[in-house]
Amino acid sequence: MQIGQRMVGDVTVVEITGDITLSKGGDVMIKDKVNSLLQQGNRKLLLDLGNVSYVDSAGLGQLVQVYATTSHNGGSLKLLRVTKRLKDLLVLTKLLTVFESFDDEKDAVASFTK
Amino acid sequence: MSEARLHVTDSQGRRVVVLDRPLFMIGRRTSADLQIVSTDVSREHAEIALEDGRYLLRDRASRYGTFVNGEQITERTLQHGDRIRLGRTEAIELVFMTEGAKTTGFLDTGTSDGGDLRQMAAILNGLRALGSGRVLDEILVLVMDSALEVTKAERGFMMLANADGELEFKIARGRGRTTLPGTTFTTSEKIPREVFKTGQSRIVGDLMEGDWRGQHDGTIAVGIRHVLCVALRVTPMSAAPASARSERVIGVLYLDGRERSTMLSKATHSSLEAFATQAALAIESARLYAESAEKARTDHDLKIAAEIQRNMLPEPVFEIGSVDLAAESIPCRTVGGDFYDYLEIGERGLGFALGDVAGKGPPAALLAAAVQSNFVALAPVSSEPAETMARVNKALLRRAIDARFATMFYGAVTPDGRLSYCNAGQEPPLVIRRAGVSWLETGGPVLGLLSIATYEFETVVLEPGDLVIVCSDGVTEARNRAGEEFGRDRLVAEVQARHGAKPEAVLEHLIGAVKLFSDGAAQADDVTALVLRYLGAK
Repeated sequence: MQIGQRMVGDVTVVEITGDITLSKGGDVMIKDKVNSLLQQGNRKLLLDLGNVSYVDSAGLGQLVQVYATTSHNGGSLKLLRVTKRLKDLLVLTKLLTVFESFDDEKDAVASFTK
Repeated sequence: MSEARLHVTDSQGRRVVVLDRPLFMIGRRTSADLQIVSTDVSREHAEIALEDGRYLLRDRASRYGTFVNGEQITERTLQHGDRIRLGRTEAIELVFMTEGAKTTGFLDTGTSDGGDLRQMAAILNGLRALGSGRVLDEILVLVMDSALEVTKAERGFMMLANADGELEFKIARGRGRTTLPGTTFTTSEKIPREVFKTGQSRIVGDLMEGDWRGQHDGTIAVGIRHVLCVALRVTPMSAAPASARSERVIGVLYLDGRERSTMLSKATHSSLEAFATQAALAIESARLYAESAEKARTDHDLKIAAEIQRNMLPEPVFEIGSVDLAAESIPCRTVGGDFYDYLEIGERGLGFALGDVAGKGPPAALLAAAVQSNFVALAPVSSEPAETMARVNKALLRRAIDARFATMFYGAVTPDGRLSYCNAGQEPPLVIRRAGVSWLETGGPVLGLLSIATYEFETVVLEPGDLVIVCSDGVTEARNRAGEEFGRDRLVAEVQARHGAKPEAVLEHLIGAVKLFSDGAAQADDVTALVLRYLGAK
């Protein structure tokens, strides 16, 4: 799994590529990334999941965890380009309503300023 | 001069530290030669000085004192076997050792000849005899540091073959006993891989020459030009003639640096080869020992855990007046993350639940036990299933089990056939009625992640003969050899005609169908199912 990062205005877009799974350590990498962004004062986080091929239950748990951590620190974390498979998983676990998710980056970035 | 060392036992475990400089500082400070982290140890607690061939231990006005064989000292000449204590605690012990080691000058002078490495081999042998799991790491560090010292290389790394015979990066060290990140060497793996494959050592005199150019730009950029790379080879001990023994390459040792004269000398190379053989043997035995000891211990613990887990589940078949049920849980490893449970909750009838914790094996099993016990404690004191679920969720959040969660279905059937249930992210259970199939989906999100989660419940009415079938996702997500999922459609197809049938028979059929479908493909997840039949008001 790889994590990239870029700024669009004051929104930090975190680009994740690969699997978010326990076995590949992806779950912990996301946590570390988000924690460090929060420490640096970034409060508007957008996770781009368009290039994520697979998310296991540990990965899913971690996504919710970083969402909770971000909210707890007065920030907001949203999802961009959620794949069909992840969406199904979010529906089944009734977690879809927790996240705000977008298909279009412009819409997502704009939503932070509302 | 004898080779002196300290056998250290402290909160970090056991290790051996070589007294490799004339003045060796012991204390809490990070820059101490031996750092010991304890409130009893002062920043500069004591020092060991090498004077006229004797090792003098001096207390550095430490707060809680320095003791040798139980006696407080300010200065003392150390003898082989002396036990040193720092402060009041017995948890830290340093044993001074000189015997069992031959003459040396190797670590403090750094000269390079075969004798130095024979000395190293003796130390490795000693470490091997210690035979604990930590020893492997210590050996790797010792091998790297010694190899750097002797060859005058600036940095180096070691790769070892894993169980599949692929090279894995293990450790990288630089001069001054520093551990380097593995990424330092990402451009340098071509030579080690070749050495591993052929078993032939490589000395590359100058990376600027020949076909290495262009492949090692990163290495050359930091001024490093000369590379020594030797195979770590294990020759089984046997009386058979050398030609009949099978040698095995277990990994490679890679060193690079700027200093041409030492690095490329023939003496360095031949002693490094000899040393590599000893190092390989020590690494291999430490690894085998650690593996077998660890495995024996884990197997035993897991067996007990599995038994405890089985005992936590109630009887697989149960009947109470208006309801009978059957359940089964088959972990894919020794212990699993699934559970089922049922209990009588007074006039609200029989409560039953099935849960599934994210992940597999021991961590999942522990959390499953926590979820199950919370459920059993909270179900009888809640007025309806959604309240139970909300309380289980809160209980799990209080424990703050990082990013782990559980899904769970909980239902309660009254004697007159009203089924109230709440589904927290569980694969929706089926109700098989005379007229058809329906799903139980009302509820809320998975448990243990969200403090803001809310839960709802729904009540449906069961007729006599109706079946409720609850499965973990190990059933619907079971795969066959072609990688296809069992899926909800097959689940429905297997059970929809079973209205009124005995729960045991339905369960047996369902588990049988999943097994038949998998056709010998490995079970990837825990498989758990519970079948409940409403018998009618009695």
